[in-house]
Amino acid sequence: MVPRSSRNTSRKLTWDKERTRELFKRYRATGDEAARDELVTMYLNLVKYLASRFRNRGEPIDDLIQVGTIGLIKAIDRFDTLREVEFTTYATPTIVGELKRYFRDKGWAIKVPRRLQELSFRVNQAVDALTQKQQRSPTIPEIADYLGVTSEEVLEALETSEAYNFVSLESDRNTDGSDSFSILEYIGKDDHLMAVVDDRTTLAAALKNLSPQEQRVLYLRFFEGLTQTEIAKQLNISQMQVSRLLRKTLKVLREHLVREEG
Amino acid sequence: MASDRIALSVPARGEYARTVRMTAAELASRMGMSIDDIDDVRIAVEESFALAVAHASGADVTFTFTLDPEAFEAAATTPSNTCDEDLEDETGSRYARFILESVCDEFEIRTDDGACYIRLLKRIS
Repeated sequence: MVPRSSRNTSRKLTWDKERTRELFKRYRATGDEAARDELVTMYLNLVKYLASRFRNRGEPIDDLIQVGTIGLIKAIDRFDTLREVEFTTYATPTIVGELKRYFRDKGWAIKVPRRLQELSFRVNQAVDALTQKQQRSPTIPEIADYLGVTSEEVLEALETSEAYNFVSLESDRNTDGSDSFSILEYIGKDDHLMAVVDDRTTLAAALKNLSPQEQRVLYLRFFEGLTQTEIAKQLNISQMQVSRLLRKTLKVLREHLVREEG
Repeated sequence: MASDRIALSVPARGEYARTVRMTAAELASRMGMSIDDIDDVRIAVEESFALAVAHASGADVTFTFTLDPEAFEAAATTPSNTCDEDLEDETGSRYARFILESVCDEFEIRTDDGACYIRLLKRIS
């Protein structure tokens, strides 16, 4: 069973630093292929661990490990041994980047039937229209009624909207850089949060992975206690975007925290 | 009106989050919840599922959904060896508590006879 074994691996993700340094030295000095191979073998469990993070996306785990290994090799070739940084710290983003690119190239994120994409878009608009008209969040049958589709189709569209927006969310990160909101600033001030999450540094590290917009949505939802509709209004985005941002944000945090655990 | 019960057992693997989420969303919708509340239910159920999966020692996680006229209840349970020692203070569980506290009206996470048990309740607003 893949998840079980990968979790076990994650518990003992440690490497011999001394040996790592030695091998890098040898590989850099003499281009010794054997040294490089040993490095690849040594850090293969890091690749396996990171690949397992992507295993729920319909790609065989072996393919993911292969892709991740390419990332690892790139990292080994580019790693600057003079910098005071652990190899794992350097390699992780490279491997993850390689895996992400793989999914992007595969078009995983947009492999959604056109019919559903369109419906998802219309549901989005219907939620906004109905919320405005009724001054409350609509029910699924109300949305279905409004669009002349079944409730099942609306529910399906809710799931869809999260799948096919993966890519656009990734790119959001770059475009909303002007927004300087940072949830990190609030962590020190909020006693309530402190009571709930006492491992402040872990959470803070996890939050750094989020874009300002994601942090803001998270803050408004969980700290200010606003509903998704209220957040949508305040940020001038749709309720479904809020929903999507929240789900994605929580997933990122969860994965980060679990990783810290390991 | 008596409450309806629905049981759903899925393999303890993350890829089944969608199945659990969609089932919960459909049931919550059936109770007439708003889309805001349904999204809270989806987040909460996914969170419980993730926590259960992280602690599962057996093959499956079983959800029992109870539909009352006023509230939606979901209970996840899975055999677990790790629940006892670290459910209280590990980061993942603290984080799950934080989320559940925010999106549910009631919740509990406990160990129950070698099993990990997570229950949440969302009232219809």
